[in-house]
Amino acid sequence: MIDIIQNTVDGVMIGSSYALLALGFTLIFGTMRRLNLAYGPTIMAGAYLGTYAFLALDIGVLPVALLVVAGAAVAGLYVERLCFRPFGEGAAIASMISSFAVWMQIEEAASLALPHHLNAFPRLVSGQPITVGPFFFRLDHLAMLAVAAAAAALVHVVLHRTRFGLGVRTLIDHRRAAELVGVPVTHTLTLAFLLACAIGGLAGFLIAASEAQITPMFGMWATTKGLIAMMIGGLGSVPGAIMGGLALGVIEAQAQWLFGPQVRDLIAWGVLFAVLALWPGGLLGGRQVAEQQAVQRRV
Amino acid sequence: MDFYLGLLQIIGVHTLLGLSAYVVLLTGQVSLAQAGFMAIGAYVSAMLTVLAKWALVPALLTGGAAAAAVACLVGFPALRVRGLMLVVATLAFGEAVRLFFFNFDYQIAMGGIKVGPLGGEGFRQIRYFPENGWTTFQVMVFIWLTVGVVMTALWWMDRSRVGAVLRAVGEDEVAAQSAGLNLTAVKVSAMTLGGFIAGVAGGLYAHYTTHIEQGNFNVLVATFAIAYPILGGLSNVFGTLAAVVFIQGFLIEGLRFLGDWRNLLFGALIVLAMNVRPGGLLDAQTMSKGLSALRRLLDPAYGSAAARQAIDGLKDAGAMFRRLIAKWKGAFGA
Repeated sequence: MIDIIQNTVDGVMIGSSYALLALGFTLIFGTMRRLNLAYGPTIMAGAYLGTYAFLALDIGVLPVALLVVAGAAVAGLYVERLCFRPFGEGAAIASMISSFAVWMQIEEAASLALPHHLNAFPRLVSGQPITVGPFFFRLDHLAMLAVAAAAAALVHVVLHRTRFGLGVRTLIDHRRAAELVGVPVTHTLTLAFLLACAIGGLAGFLIAASEAQITPMFGMWATTKGLIAMMIGGLGSVPGAIMGGLALGVIEAQAQWLFGPQVRDLIAWGVLFAVLALWPGGLLGGRQVAEQQAVQRRV
Repeated sequence: MDFYLGLLQIIGVHTLLGLSAYVVLLTGQVSLAQAGFMAIGAYVSAMLTVLAKWALVPALLTGGAAAAAVACLVGFPALRVRGLMLVVATLAFGEAVRLFFFNFDYQIAMGGIKVGPLGGEGFRQIRYFPENGWTTFQVMVFIWLTVGVVMTALWWMDRSRVGAVLRAVGEDEVAAQSAGLNLTAVKVSAMTLGGFIAGVAGGLYAHYTTHIEQGNFNVLVATFAIAYPILGGLSNVFGTLAAVVFIQGFLIEGLRFLGDWRNLLFGALIVLAMNVRPGGLLDAQTMSKGLSALRRLLDPAYGSAAARQAIDGLKDAGAMFRRLIAKWKGAFGA
């Protein structure tokens, strides 16, 4: 029982970074209805920029964090211009394939910049874990949870208190309606894309700082974790992304404790497939799917 | 020489993989599970030839059938989701299959050594071809015979009622349903057929490389599988072949001299191709233009005066070429 609670706590803390990854993913998916496979590699580009500056200039951890977020946003702009802007509505698969090609580019560029497989990354905090009764909490995981919660709250404010956020939410609801009521669609899409990549960059920084290292595999890892978390929670839904991220963290922690690390990923993908097959649209995003099915029934 | 034979083998297997995604794409479904089906075919057929000592063709067919059965089972739940949700659901399934083989051990001792799949180490010693004295050339011919059979079957299917039904569902599901088509049956059949082709491709792959592991069937391969028909165009099977030759022959092998920089250019070229030709390299328009041009060339009575002139020009060029060769022969005293 103590183990299960400890796993759940660990899972929630790790899951907070998954939730941030999923939040960025869902902003792109919700507004554009496109899958950005280069999302993880974009984050990795930012993280590589940060670690490059850390190794070359020996700067502190906060400038590194800023560099990671900025680098991810710039790389995101590159992806957006190349894979999303040129294709009209309906060419979702062409965008996906292009983003996949850019993924290969970024991975290659990263390993050309830093040829080592493992690269050191500065820690955000270090110190002994805090012990409360039978449970212990790693400091970097606590910091991760705090920063992620703050970032999620900030995103919530942006989405619900600004004009830009209103535009984003309208786009998520209905693109044509957003055009009709005068949302500057192209502009909002680009900004939402950049915001998503910056959120992803923050998540990438938190994860790399808690692992204290970064590898070229990080891009693929971030894409898959963000994707699974987003899909479990529900497409294009901000609360869904956060729920999905936390759920994925807990599922992984329990699966690892029960079956070991090799089976953990298998379980994560299996849960995703089961969720999609049983509740198409994810746990909190079933509305559109229900609408589609209603249309089909009428026909 | 062996290098080119190997390249032809890769192109053959990838053509099959692309065709498996092509069938599914015709019904408007994008499946990232093809690499998973390929893994099932590869492991099943390799276990049959290595551990059960089956002959190659029955093993390949059984591998294909196993993959088809799984694809059929996946088809039903996956039908509940569509569009990009289906992409992710099939991706989840494909990755789950790959990670299943990452944890899959089944080894038997044979002649002093243990053979069989061993988790992350993979499945070594799939030595059917060397043990039975096949040369690389023969293996290549065998792979391309399979490709030929599958392409002919799909070409024929495309022009039959079946093809029309698949395309009808792909063009507009609601209209197809109104016309009395059973969407479930059509989509699941396409998925099953695609699974079978991917399974056979996996079996061939396992036997010519002699060593498979879960990493061979990752999301990269799955994306390649759907990239071929999309890049090549869905008007007919040759688009897929053209795209495989373009990607595997030119972008991967042809640009190998660029070393580490290859992937950068590779990405740029794919993005460029998708931007310039969003309908695929060989879309319906290009294909019909090409075919009618070919027809005019082959049949002078059908074509215009310009075509006849072009043919006369070609004949002239042929005559000139023959005269040149005659001259060279004279020059060398033959």
